Amino acid sequence: MAGFSELIKNFDKTREYVRDFFIYGCKVRSDFDKKSVRTYDDEKRRVESWMQDYMRYDDSIKGRHVSISVDSGHISENPLYNAYYSKSFTDNDIKLHFLLIDILQDGKIRTLRELTDTLNNEYEQLFDDQTVRNKLKEYAEEGIIVVQKRGKTMYYSLSPTRIDEYIQKYNGLSDAVKFFSEAPDFGVIGNSIMKAVGIRNDLFHIKHNYMIHSLEDILVPEILKAIDDKCSIIIKKFTWKKDEEPAEEIIIPMQILVSVQTGRRYIAGYVPKTRRFSTYRLDRIKFIKRNIVCTDYDRLRERYEVNIHRCFGVSFGDRRESGNVNAIKITFTVDEKKELYVIERLEREKRCAVVEKTGDGLYTLTADVFDPNEIMHWAKTFIGRIVSIDGGTEKIRLRFYNDIRRMYRMYGGEDDEHIQ
Amino acid sequence: MNIFSEIYGTYFRIAAKLLENEVIDEKTVRETVLRDGFRDSILFLPQKLIPSGEDWGLFKRDNNNMLRRITKKAPEKVLTKLQNMWLKSKLSDPRIRLFLEDNTITELEAELADIKPLYRHEHFKLTDRYADHDDYSDEKYIANFHEALDAVKKRKIVDISFTSGHGKHVSGRFVMLKIEFSPKNGKFRAYCYKLSNDKIKNSGLINIGRIDKITDTGRIFRTPVSMDNYFSSRKCSTPAVIRVTNERNGVERFMLEFAPYAKHTVRDLEKNEYVVELWYDEQDETEVLIMLLSFGPVIEILGPEKLRSQAKERLDRQYELLYGKNAQ
Repeated sequence: MAGFSELIKNFDKTREYVRDFFIYGCKVRSDFDKKSVRTYDDEKRRVESWMQDYMRYDDSIKGRHVSISVDSGHISENPLYNAYYSKSFTDNDIKLHFLLIDILQDGKIRTLRELTDTLNNEYEQLFDDQTVRNKLKEYAEEGIIVVQKRGKTMYYSLSPTRIDEYIQKYNGLSDAVKFFSEAPDFGVIGNSIMKAVGIRNDLFHIKHNYMIHSLEDILVPEILKAIDDKCSIIIKKFTWKKDEEPAEEIIIPMQILVSVQTGRRYIAGYVPKTRRFSTYRLDRIKFIKRNIVCTDYDRLRERYEVNIHRCFGVSFGDRRESGNVNAIKITFTVDEKKELYVIERLEREKRCAVVEKTGDGLYTLTADVFDPNEIMHWAKTFIGRIVSIDGGTEKIRLRFYNDIRRMYRMYGGEDDEHIQ
Repeated sequence: MNIFSEIYGTYFRIAAKLLENEVIDEKTVRETVLRDGFRDSILFLPQKLIPSGEDWGLFKRDNNNMLRRITKKAPEKVLTKLQNMWLKSKLSDPRIRLFLEDNTITELEAELADIKPLYRHEHFKLTDRYADHDDYSDEKYIANFHEALDAVKKRKIVDISFTSGHGKHVSGRFVMLKIEFSPKNGKFRAYCYKLSNDKIKNSGLINIGRIDKITDTGRIFRTPVSMDNYFSSRKCSTPAVIRVTNERNGVERFMLEFAPYAKHTVRDLEKNEYVVELWYDEQDETEVLIMLLSFGPVIEILGPEKLRSQAKERLDRQYELLYGKNAQ
């Protein structure tokens, strides 16, 4: 049996574990029933190693609870970035990395033959041409090596841009990188720049910081590329049962939707199978593969631009794209002399809805959206001020009234059961 | 080209750092691994760096029992294509002007002219960011941000006049400690200590967007500041205790939405419920309360009594609005 390694080959598996530890904060070994005991122990050990100070252990009858507890608004570096810094590699990978950079950092260009000869003669390192060629090709894609073709021969040189020179040359860049390394999006790339030159973020904190998004960033470049190239993508979701093979779904991606209040990010796209727009949570997607060019992309995009303005959040509702929607109207009571901040809140948070003064101390929000249900989570933040709810659907209205009665009882009120 | 690549990895970074020196000793290797590695790296990494038969061969042992690198120079820190693409994207972010002067942005744009940005602003849509977010392109805002950032970096004692959240004009002497950004609010704020006779009077937060003027007093605040103590002093004294049920997928929704908060979760196996202790900044209590209420009957605030009674008060008012006073 192979021993434990801090490094990982497969990011997907780690994403799933870290997410569970981090989000639920109360997973025990037996909860991961689809995994082997060894996998659980290894993943747990890696997470513990990356998260160090943020781990919590609690013993219960069911076993030892491992969780991550981070006050993410008051940290200077997202510890989940460590997952990205754990990619496994071979001995040849690390050796060739430093040797090729060492040879090429004099600025001269060299052929493959010259490079392998130098490795052999000056460094006493024997590599076959194919191994070196593959590494050069890989590093050309990474932008570390520049390739020029002269006649039939390829010449290789080191890319001229240096992180430390950039940081020194461009005044303020260091501060910008400190900020953007923690702020969305792709902060981990900024963090990799900082790590390379030994800079630490000593200036900024991010409030309402959904650090877990950083793990989903692994998927995002492929989606953005598909959007730019007007291509469809194939997605596979994580499965919850052992040996279950997830079904593949085809989406024509339009945009990444980010909820900065609920901590979820989605791909919004057109689903050819159902012939409607829909959204898919990024944290539930295991795998994304580029599919084919969509010849109808521009027309779909135009329709998307129209439709997205009728989403309160991310839901396109249950109706077909052309279906009718009932506007929902929620009326709030406000003391206009003392509670101007409530009116300000409504204006600030109304999104695509409209707020109008409809009476003395009464303000009505009208939302003509695909899925009025989506508004209700937010509407309940105004509990204590909601005078009436009209429109939407009967189910939504009844659920709200029922919720208030249940909550009233929950907090000690005596509800009259005969009230309808 | 992938973010998840060994070239950005911790092991490569430690090796690069050690290869900056022509000669090192084993102690330096171990200290560097302990400082810059993962928690368990000390068990795995030194033997790959120190000649041992199973090492990577990056160092050779010399006659003085020191470790001599096999490379000739310290490794260059090449900016990769991905890092360039990231920088290019950030140049289009309106917040870049808070950090770089316009001529620096122009120079960097020219430098990265041939680079494709990693993403464009329109690739993403924030569905629920508040509409009254800061105007990052406002010249006065930019100037105040520059002043505030400089004050934070140098721990300057500054005089600030600003408009408070309640619309009152406030001025005073402060030391600015850190800058906070909220994607939800789209606002920058500065963590401060208010000073009186050069001594700390109390702590507070100032919205950069509400600052009228910052004036440098020319003096530096030299008293050491522990940010841990600063943040602890602003925390609630007792955590909110929340019962979370799994109705309407409540557990997952709750855990995800409250992921930014420090919390401790205990599962009640018999009831299949969760009890979560949640720590928050005292000043955010109303925000936390309304977030909790938005979950409806799926969760219950068990304590502390002050928070629970605020919820009860709002529910009493709501019940009365829907069913009239007589129903109570």
